[in-house]
Amino acid sequence: MSATMSSSILNLTDLMQRVDDDRELLAELFFIFKTVFPAHLERLSGAIDRDETGQVESESHALKGMLLNLSAPRAAVAASTLEQMGRDRHSDGMKPAFAELQSEVEAVLSQINQYAIDPQT
Amino acid sequence: MKILIADDEMLSRRLLEKTLLKAGYEVLAVQNGTAAVAELCKVDGPRLALLDWEMPEMDGPAVCREVRKKTDSGYVYMILLTSKGLKTDVVAGLESGADDYLTKPFDAEELKARMRTGQRILDLEGRLVEAREHMRFQATHDSLTSLLNRGVIMDLLGREISRSRRERIPTAIILCDVDHFKAINDSHGHRIGDEVLREVARRLLAAVRSYDYVGRYGGEEFLVILNNCDALSAPGRAEAMRKAISDIPIKTDAGPFTVTTSIGVHQTENWGFRSVETLLHEVDAALYAAKAAGRNCVRFVESATAAGSGDLPLKQPAETLS
Repeated sequence: MSATMSSSILNLTDLMQRVDDDRELLAELFFIFKTVFPAHLERLSGAIDRDETGQVESESHALKGMLLNLSAPRAAVAASTLEQMGRDRHSDGMKPAFAELQSEVEAVLSQINQYAIDPQT
Repeated sequence: MKILIADDEMLSRRLLEKTLLKAGYEVLAVQNGTAAVAELCKVDGPRLALLDWEMPEMDGPAVCREVRKKTDSGYVYMILLTSKGLKTDVVAGLESGADDYLTKPFDAEELKARMRTGQRILDLEGRLVEAREHMRFQATHDSLTSLLNRGVIMDLLGREISRSRRERIPTAIILCDVDHFKAINDSHGHRIGDEVLREVARRLLAAVRSYDYVGRYGGEEFLVILNNCDALSAPGRAEAMRKAISDIPIKTDAGPFTVTTSIGVHQTENWGFRSVETLLHEVDAALYAAKAAGRNCVRFVESATAAGSGDLPLKQPAETLS
């Protein structure tokens, strides 16, 4: 792994183990993530705006699951934080937590795109 | 083995699907709990299931509860997939009827090991069911002929007589005895006698319909219950049974034997409301009338009104006598 790929953003070693070194499957999972995550983020953002804590919890949970499967620990923690806020009905800190999640997901996407250009990273 | 994966999240579903396909399983993937229940409750549905805890419409524990309600088919081994880490969640999942749980994100080796555990449990269940069915068969069937044993055929006779009276459905009772069977045993030994009985049983069974009953009543006596068989067709059916035995010699290790049977028949219209024992006594008398008439023939109980008189009238349809 090159110095540019941080394991705390995307743990490729762990991920490769999960997909049994199947690069084709890995590419497929990246594609799925890139396809579905924008809709989840959009629904999550809308739920926060409308103060629908139950929806915040379920959307965050779904994103957390995807991010854990992709071995993206930091983004998963950010999603988990929002999920917990939704469960606890703590609306106050949701917007900054969402911004944090967005930022982490962008970092994940950046690494995914980097991997697509150079799979040896 | 076929496995069902139920997960609304596409990435997780695809990852599970590919991992299990590579491990040699046949995979059926669905997106929600309702579809999972529909598949798992099919008679030939998957017996092993991986269920995401959180799904729209119906979550994993609810799927477990629904599947556990069905009792008419084999056991389904269900594993809940969860990112819930609390012990109370795990307990709630297992209480819903799940057999195991796996924490997300799953480890491929752990997933495969848990699948193998599920398979072992299902294999064990399969062997237990097989053993139970074997014991049930042994308890209800005659060990020599594999026909229904005396206890079961008598029980069925009682039930069919009641049903016939209740629903006014014509039924016939046939008692069939192998002629001169003792001579076969005495001349050629019990092993050859057993071969003859097995073949007679096989031919009787082949001569009736799938919803009729054939049982071994005694040593060389067989009791047949013909459901929905009226007075017009009963003589022909009894005669067909007699001919099924006598027309083709029975091959045995001691050579072929021409075997004949004497048959007594009792039909619904003659039953009245007499007891099972009385009806059996009457059909037995008809059977002995067939013996007295020279064997290898059919005799009928004629009238209910004469029952108990000790002088049982028998009719002798010319076309059924040999």
